[in-house]
Amino acid sequence: MRMTINGAEVELDVEPDMPLLWALRDELGLTGTKYGCGIAQCGACTVHLDGLAVRSCQVRASEAEGAEVTTIEGLPRDHPVVDAWIEEQVAQCGYCQSGQIMQAASLLAGNPAPSDAEIDAVMGGNLCRCATYPRIRAAIRRAAQETA
Amino acid sequence: MGIGKIVRRTLLIGSAAVAGGVAFGVWRYRADPENPLLADLPEGAASLTPFVVVDAEGVTFVAPRADVGQGAASIQAHLIAEEMDVDPHAVRIVAGPASKAYYNGEITGHGIPVAAWDDGRMGAVARLGSDVAGKLVGLNITGGSTTVPDLFERLREAGAVARETLKAAAAARLGVDVATLATEGGAVVAADGTRLPYADLAAAAAATDLVREVTLRDPSEWRVLGRAHRRTDVEAKSTGAVTYGVDVDLPGMLRATAVTNPVRGGGVASLDTAAAAAMRGIEAVIPIPDGFAVIADNDWRAMRAARAVAVEWGDVAPKPDTATLWAEHAAVIEGEETDSRFADEGDVAGAPGELVEAEYRVPFLHHAPLEPTNATVRYTPERTDLWCGTQVPTFACEAVARITGQDVEQVHLTNLPSGGSFGHRLEMEWIEQAAHAAMAVPGRPVRLTLGREQDMTHGFLRPMALARGRATHEGGRVRSFDLDVAALSVTESQMQRLGYPPVGPDLMTVQALWDAPYAIPDRRVTGYRVPASVPVSSWRSVGASFNGFFGESLLDEVILAAGADPVEERLRLLRDPASRTVLETVAGMAGWDGPGKGKGVAFTYSFGVPVAEVVEVEETDAGLALRGLWIAADLGTVLDPVNAEAQLSGGALFGLGHAMHAAVEFAEGRSLQSNFHDYASLRLWEVPPTLEVRALGLGGRISGAGEPGLPPAAPALANAIFAATGTRLREMPFDRTVRFA
Amino acid sequence: MRWLALVLLAAPAAAQEFAPVHEVLSHPRCANCHVETDVPLWRTGVPHGLGVVAGESRMGIETLPCGTCHRAENGGFPHAAPGVEGWALAPPEMAWAARTPREICEQLKDPERNGGRTMAEVADHVSHDPLVVWGWAPGLGRDPAPGSPEEAARAILAWDAAGAPCP
Repeated sequence: MRMTINGAEVELDVEPDMPLLWALRDELGLTGTKYGCGIAQCGACTVHLDGLAVRSCQVRASEAEGAEVTTIEGLPRDHPVVDAWIEEQVAQCGYCQSGQIMQAASLLAGNPAPSDAEIDAVMGGNLCRCATYPRIRAAIRRAAQETA
Repeated sequence: MGIGKIVRRTLLIGSAAVAGGVAFGVWRYRADPENPLLADLPEGAASLTPFVVVDAEGVTFVAPRADVGQGAASIQAHLIAEEMDVDPHAVRIVAGPASKAYYNGEITGHGIPVAAWDDGRMGAVARLGSDVAGKLVGLNITGGSTTVPDLFERLREAGAVARETLKAAAAARLGVDVATLATEGGAVVAADGTRLPYADLAAAAAATDLVREVTLRDPSEWRVLGRAHRRTDVEAKSTGAVTYGVDVDLPGMLRATAVTNPVRGGGVASLDTAAAAAMRGIEAVIPIPDGFAVIADNDWRAMRAARAVAVEWGDVAPKPDTATLWAEHAAVIEGEETDSRFADEGDVAGAPGELVEAEYRVPFLHHAPLEPTNATVRYTPERTDLWCGTQVPTFACEAVARITGQDVEQVHLTNLPSGGSFGHRLEMEWIEQAAHAAMAVPGRPVRLTLGREQDMTHGFLRPMALARGRATHEGGRVRSFDLDVAALSVTESQMQRLGYPPVGPDLMTVQALWDAPYAIPDRRVTGYRVPASVPVSSWRSVGASFNGFFGESLLDEVILAAGADPVEERLRLLRDPASRTVLETVAGMAGWDGPGKGKGVAFTYSFGVPVAEVVEVEETDAGLALRGLWIAADLGTVLDPVNAEAQLSGGALFGLGHAMHAAVEFAEGRSLQSNFHDYASLRLWEVPPTLEVRALGLGGRISGAGEPGLPPAAPALANAIFAATGTRLREMPFDRTVRFA
Repeated sequence: MRWLALVLLAAPAAAQEFAPVHEVLSHPRCANCHVETDVPLWRTGVPHGLGVVAGESRMGIETLPCGTCHRAENGGFPHAAPGVEGWALAPPEMAWAARTPREICEQLKDPERNGGRTMAEVADHVSHDPLVVWGWAPGLGRDPAPGSPEEAARAILAWDAAGAPCP
């Protein structure tokens, strides 16, 4: 099956029900997208599918056929969300942060000036075991200001 | 040449040159040179501990402690950079190989019954003993918030030795007096402005005698330490560029997963692998201890095929069961046999005053780092390679060597950054499973990753614990405090897994209780040991993770019963100035103005750090909402305020989230919790909108920040809930009693 | 006296007519998403975790739609997110979680609260809307709704043919 990943067209020979997560990680070597739970509870595998954040552990490869997929590797270094994550020094262990960043980028694309309540509502599906949440909030506010 | 090779060669050849470069270490023991133990240092302890490698490519720091998210890589780099005058972002930072040369001199101190706030002679002697023991045993462990106190001097000395040796080499090359040279930005700078980058001096420095007598900079002259920095790994962690163990990719590598009996130790009665083996991408399905491993070309195919294996599990007795375990805890705490009684002041039995009695309970907890446990192993008869993130490199290599039947020297570890640990990566079961899988396909690397369910249901858990306390008050003051704690012994469980016999009473069971710095006239703390069953382990802040809750809840109850103020009475009772300062500080930060306003306070002293926290809650239509969290701690010296804040707030929030939501329970020997849908912890919306951290450096012994922020969090929350609602929470998780927004 | 006898007889009869319908509608596979609030249920009485909100669209808020996790098909592992085309909560006026059989019955007949459907259209909705039909194929580890979509539709039509009496 064919899809566009980070702007490049790719051909995948995998089972239709292989989750996109594993196709990205094990078949394409895009390991910035993480496995944390496999059941949409942690958000570490969040990528953009046709511009919307999805949990790639729940998206069958066949669902992504013909779609545009963006992973953490596809966000430019100067993306305001990536930049804010670095400036606010959000990461501790860092394992969940690809997913946090992809979810936050999707949030700001749809809602450039989210309220604190809106940030809380959208980011609740992304688990951070290190509890970097205060800085996640700060980074989203910073990125929103920078894009305003 | 790869850094792995450089490091290994360095260890072999001591202080001499390596491949056109030079390695700097500190060999001298920092205790009294008259110490007779020094003459008997075992050969394996290495006369040189290499922390700095300079070669033509530049500077490499070898960080002996693993980075599991706590910022160890960055802090270790800052310590070396402070003396070496090099930008921590301009050097390579690699984890050290498994060598006893990287001993942790602090970790064994956790087994010695000396209070951290005891700066008297006995305390100093005992701590020195622990350092010597650590060096002799060569325990290379990351944990116990020891990275900073253990390496504070050693790494700065390594940096200073490197700097002075490079200066000596430069002086020889330029024909000038070394006193005229300075260092800055990774170069030696001569009086006339000539700059000699360290890399250009590598070969010359290799031929120069190491300058071993160095003077460390006074903190007032620090250029790197004590300031806010960008963590060296934060950019890679914001762009998906870090290679964690789970991301290892090697030519010809296979993937694997393991599944073991849901009732640990039950073994396998029968195994039919035919259906699984016939699935796409499956290389092999092999038996391993207590279960099987599936080897495949893709993680998902391995995990999917694992579910297609027809397995009949064997039986084992007794099977852990939470209800039975509570009964067992009660029987032990009511029994005659005590495990420890390190605090026994005055006469609690005859103490006057009005009595407050209470029982408290906490459940088992899983570390559940977000990066699933994994290890990559390539076995050949001559040599085995291991890639993973581990806090116990030497033990990990020994464990693999036991399975491959090789000498430990034949096992070579590449220690990688970990996606969290909280103590989990002190354990090695999955490393052993990866070694078994690798033995089935000699020559090919196998990356074994546990599915979340396998990991969650086979934890090495924070013990459940039961406490019963009696405290009295008289004349508005706390008069006596008598607390019993019954728990499985973490130390016994860990030692047993490492093949050592259990040693003495377990300080962890009463950690942060027996040594709480409260001057209460009649005061006793008794530990009770529950017979070993479920394997238990060091979970962030270990025994303090429950004892903070037990001690500070009982204290709050008796203070309120006495009609006293929880802050004022604690201040009156605290023995040492640093403890009083952090409590006064947090009271000021939180605007504390008496009890009963939805605010709760707690104070603990663990891992050498006094920490006071205030939590504020409010009742809303949606449930109890956390409104504020204020943290004050004294780290002795603050090396990086940005990381200190992250660790203290992360520890406190980790403590709050688990106290609110998390438990691991057993029925018929099986863990009832299997993934994050039923093992919940803090989510973003639950974090109080007001969160303030003050990391103080009051000048005492320097301490780490990863763990001590946790213990006061849960009792501060419980005390706040009492203040807001009148409901006293004596059992975790709290959400079984109250509803959170 | 005859009218009294009729009422006494009719009440249990009506309960019987509606019982098979109620059995389906009140099953967790249906009731967990027919909720009044913004939050679906994971299990009876247990709200969905992760802080999700259905929003006005009932399909999640714009930047965190249900489809972030709930895709076109059920997830393949135990406890994974179930999925089918068009994952969403029923409109709040169609909520019946925790309501009595009588309340559910009355609202089912009320065009204001059943999406303006005739009972035939309700039966068709139950047997053909992919999201409703999902209730009979909910994926690993979940009990399906009782019977089949067709049986549920027939029960609705039979109840309607009997005058749609409410218990």
